Amino acid sequence: MSDAGTPSAASKPEDAQQAEHLNIKVTDNNNEVFFKIKRTTALKKLMDAFCDRQGKSPASVRFLFDGQRVNPTDNPESLEMADGDTLEVHQEQVGGGTA
Amino acid sequence: MSGLAQTRLQEERKQWRRDHPFGFFAKPQRNPQGVLDLKKWECGVPGKEKTIWEGGLFKLEIAFPDEYPTKPPKCKFVPPLFHPNVYPSGTVCLSILNEEEAWKPAITLKEILLGIQTLLNDPNPDSPAQADAYNLFKKDKAAYENKIKRLVKDNPAP
Repeated sequence: MSDAGTPSAASKPEDAQQAEHLNIKVTDNNNEVFFKIKRTTALKKLMDAFCDRQGKSPASVRFLFDGQRVNPTDNPESLEMADGDTLEVHQEQVGGGTA
Repeated sequence: MSGLAQTRLQEERKQWRRDHPFGFFAKPQRNPQGVLDLKKWECGVPGKEKTIWEGGLFKLEIAFPDEYPTKPPKCKFVPPLFHPNVYPSGTVCLSILNEEEAWKPAITLKEILLGIQTLLNDPNPDSPAQADAYNLFKKDKAAYENKIKRLVKDNPAP
């Protein structure tokens, strides 16, 4: 557990645990679904599964992690996700109309 | 940074990752070497639903002093926000963030950010921090609301 002296050349993950699978919570502020996903699996799989289950079209929603939009090709490793992290699902919206 | 601050901030990070209010984000910044700096966080506060702020996401930097949690963190909108209780520098003026007023070491990051979200639509005109937003809020509510609506449009949720 002593990581104080580790060189910081490579950005090291926050948590030392490197399990192959992560549990990720996906929530649209109404429903919560938990997924188990490999670190290197594209999040598209999880996004499609959530939409399927909730009867939503993938085009009608957007996924956010830590305030950033998630691309279907991202994976937990590229986003530095940790076990227990949350993906938020927001309704896609278009501004405009008045003013 | 003191051991107490370090431990507390690690715990705040853990709690936040486990559970946080919908639409918000909060994460420690990385220094140029790519190492997480627990004393500086990047946060986002969404406008509350059913208010003129709905649909916006407003970014803040939170700086934790060495004496945290004895002393409160400093919360600053980046860029500075047009709001009666935000200083021209962007710093938020809020009782729970003031050591001489209502700050308590037990106040969590989640409570701070929820407090700031409430402040957006609930400014306190008795304690103005910037002239522009205060004057417009006092003199012309309609113009003030239009200004906020433009602000929301310019700072949309991602």
